[in-house]
Amino acid sequence: MRLPSSIERVLIDEEQIAERVQELAVRISADYTDEDDLVLVGVLKGAFIFLADLTRRLRVIHHVDFIALSSYNRGSSHTGAVRMIMDTRTNITGRHVMIVEDILDTGYTLNYLQRLFLARQPASLRTCVLLSKPDRRLVEVSVDYLGFEIPNVWVVGYGLDYADRFRTLPYIAALRPEVVR
Amino acid sequence: MRLRDDVDRILIPEDVLQARIAELAAEINVTYTDEDRLLLVCVLKGAFMFLADLMRHLEIRHEVDFMEISSYGTGTVSSGVVRILLDLAQNIEDRHVLIVEDIVDSGRTLDYITRNLHTRGPASLRVCTLLSKPSRREVEISTDFVGFEVPDEFVIGYGLDFAEEYRNLPFIGVLKSEVYTGS
Repeated sequence: MRLPSSIERVLIDEEQIAERVQELAVRISADYTDEDDLVLVGVLKGAFIFLADLTRRLRVIHHVDFIALSSYNRGSSHTGAVRMIMDTRTNITGRHVMIVEDILDTGYTLNYLQRLFLARQPASLRTCVLLSKPDRRLVEVSVDYLGFEIPNVWVVGYGLDYADRFRTLPYIAALRPEVVR
Repeated sequence: MRLRDDVDRILIPEDVLQARIAELAAEINVTYTDEDRLLLVCVLKGAFMFLADLMRHLEIRHEVDFMEISSYGTGTVSSGVVRILLDLAQNIEDRHVLIVEDIVDSGRTLDYITRNLHTRGPASLRVCTLLSKPSRREVEISTDFVGFEVPDEFVIGYGLDFAEEYRNLPFIGVLKSEVYTGS
């Protein structure tokens, strides 16, 4: 496999991702087996590949929805302020809701989303995250389903980008530090 | 799974679907170069699964953006008047743009999106759709990459829904008529 020159190394390969997504789908299907009004809310852009693979493997009836968020602070640092670009189409009040996110970093975005959604009084709210960087956490966030814990390096692929590049690599890889300004 | 009981028959099985998506990606790979910095524009919600699989086969440099639109009309007949719920994050002026759609039916929605994006001055604008129902076409529309032509039946699965259900089926199926007529 030829790696793009900006990529330092592969952290999680395609097969490992597929296996882990399948494991998560089995657990989620078991946990929601008695519910028939689960709504998965994917956070754009990053989570759509993870969501596309997860949703196909679930064995419980569920709907899919999307939200788009933007940080007020452009670039890679987070101030915690999040702007809603597109809200869910579904009214989540009284529904079983699961947030599907690609990566948990400082926790600001997910913390904001969880508070926002809880205020709408869903029947339940859980969070499914493919990647977590525990070293970066600045606010506490509860995660119910986690794919992988990763070190504090800039990761790309499987939905994650650097300036909109490398998003669609089928694996998760570390970017060379000198690429990230 | 209960959902599958509502499926009258499988129109396109998973392996045929995936093989065709790889072919479409191969066509796209030879149509563009890395220097084109192709921008894929995914029309939500229906096309997200198609996009996720299509991209895995793309070898040329590309980026992704999303649009979500809503028809003002209700029911299953598209009025063609479209409201943009989520606009592109990127400015597409002088960009090579490929619209990724799940299905082209009457063509009205796609016609609207195409005209809208053309006004923004892209370097090129093409359309890739997984499914096309030519018998339903009401406006003439050019589609550059087409996965499958399908008959005029209620198709579901692989991103396509009926009342938000069935999107996650990994194949394209035909919905039993009693499900959507309610009889």
